[in-house]
Amino acid sequence: MYQIALKMLMGDRAKYTGLLLGIAFTAFLVTFALSYFAGFMTRGFALISENSSADVWVMDPAVNSTEMTINMSSTALGRVRSIKGVNYAVPMSVSDVTARFPNGHFQTFQMIGVDDATLAGAPGLTDGRSPDALHTPQSVIVDPGGTSGKLQTPQAKKDQWPFEGAHLDVPTRELVAGDELLVNDCRIVVAGRSQTIPRFPPRPLLYTTFSNTIRLLPSESRRLTFVLVRAQDGISSKTLAARIERQTGLRARTAADFKEDTVRWYLVNSEDVGDMAAMLILAMTVGFGVTGVMLYMFTYENLKQYAVFKAMGASPSMLLGMIFIQAGVGALFGAGMGIGMCAIVGKSVSIMLDYPFRMMWFTPIFGILGVLIVSLTAAAISARPVLKLEPGVVFSSR
Amino acid sequence: MSLDAKKKIVVHCRNIIKTYGTGASRVFALRGADLDVYEGELLMLVGPSGCGKTTFISILTALLKEDSGVCEVLGKDINALTLEQKVLFRRESIGFVFQLFNLLPALTAQENVAVPLLIQGKDRKTALKEAKTVLDSMGLGERIGALPSELSGGQQQRVAIARALVHHPKLIVCDEPTSSLDHESGQMVMKLLRNIADKEKTTLIVVTHDDRIYHFADRMAYMEDGRIIKSEMMQTGKETTK
Repeated sequence: MYQIALKMLMGDRAKYTGLLLGIAFTAFLVTFALSYFAGFMTRGFALISENSSADVWVMDPAVNSTEMTINMSSTALGRVRSIKGVNYAVPMSVSDVTARFPNGHFQTFQMIGVDDATLAGAPGLTDGRSPDALHTPQSVIVDPGGTSGKLQTPQAKKDQWPFEGAHLDVPTRELVAGDELLVNDCRIVVAGRSQTIPRFPPRPLLYTTFSNTIRLLPSESRRLTFVLVRAQDGISSKTLAARIERQTGLRARTAADFKEDTVRWYLVNSEDVGDMAAMLILAMTVGFGVTGVMLYMFTYENLKQYAVFKAMGASPSMLLGMIFIQAGVGALFGAGMGIGMCAIVGKSVSIMLDYPFRMMWFTPIFGILGVLIVSLTAAAISARPVLKLEPGVVFSSR
Repeated sequence: MSLDAKKKIVVHCRNIIKTYGTGASRVFALRGADLDVYEGELLMLVGPSGCGKTTFISILTALLKEDSGVCEVLGKDINALTLEQKVLFRRESIGFVFQLFNLLPALTAQENVAVPLLIQGKDRKTALKEAKTVLDSMGLGERIGALPSELSGGQQQRVAIARALVHHPKLIVCDEPTSSLDHESGQMVMKLLRNIADKEKTTLIVVTHDDRIYHFADRMAYMEDGRIIKSEMMQTGKETTK
């Protein structure tokens, strides 16, 4: 009878296509929404991702994300380096600065100060040059950090550093190597551009050396935000992190744990994430509603056929099985189509528009599960009229 | 009375009362209907609209529960059966032919006919084979792969009859089997039903308004206002008691 149920489902091409498209739309929506969310969260811990050589991140004990930080004493670096099992440890400074462009326009950047000696954490340049250019005094690497149009400098010489005031509405071009900016009245020179992982929230980035950050930023006794640690061979990151915490009193997290901390921090603290989640939940609710109603309607429109089965002696369990197999198969096929579409569309928009789309392992699973649960719930609801149905309706005048 | 004495009673209903609604809106559909139907008999149940024919056949096929009265069908007291027993009873012993055929539009003729066997739990291959045999016997062997929408009304009703027959029920209930068909198709369908009653010893109860098919009946039972008011042997034209 299950084959009969499937033939009923697939036999009516128009209804079946509509049902599949409805379910596919829901699966698409759910998976896309989750992948979009995952994409944003991935951008939230971009700083950790782009420093893949760091096994352990050490920070002030109160810090639990890359987004909200407080600096440590510079002695922390030495203390961490002294821990057994540390292969090497390098400093990193993260702070916000406002830079002025030659035409007077200004822009807030996140300034990332990397180890002077190794330049660990500095991105490669888009023109293929090495980040060694940062060794040039006062030099920075600029990165859009997921923004667009924020790294514009005036085209004409006359609009650069004008004495009579800002030239804001003038033709501009993208910053290139050799261009200058002002940070705290200090001249900095663009050594090149990078294109690292976009940030969430999007913000332009300035990469420079750790010593440069100390020179450029207002005097502050603490400038060390993170210590990036590479573990020696044979020691696990978790063990080393625990050891660093125990022996220094600082917070030490493996890269994976620190990513999780950061995501959790966003979920708890970021209002943007709350708004985004509310929007996504709304979208998913609409999708679930569409699927539920379509499946319910499908069963409801076939009531007479179920009445015929019932009159012929089909048991309630047999009818339930038929309804659930229809819902289950419809949900699986629809979800497959939807997730496939999601992967294609998501990948395309992320490549073409730099869209924050990341289909992680759990997003299609949630997509399938969500659709399956909604479909089976709709099937359960639509089963009620079938079970309550008087088989006598099969007779002509009823 | 000689027919009554010789033949085995398949349906024995006495004083069946059935109402719908409650209080002031309570309507009597059956007001003490009595009926006996014999093995191998083709009985036609006729009467004006609203006289209770459909309610009556619904009760004797265990689709509807009577308020009071006794109804024994194929030796079983319908009222005493549990819900599960009623389901089994219909599955094993009753065949249905409906006015609007009620074939599943997505299934071929062969698959439609196989449905009662599949409900009984037979495997698909056997069910389809038996369905083909029945369709062959009805001259529809060439159309087994056709969908209902590809069949004429007469062919669809023949498929429906094949579906009612395929599991060899002892009682077939037909609700207005010819009213959706033209005269020629109706006559063909009735010949088929007549043949089933004669050859298979299957009992048929046919609810109809179509007086062009009365001559196929062994007996006519006339209903009015929720009662069987008379029954009449057709071969002799002699009016008999119930």
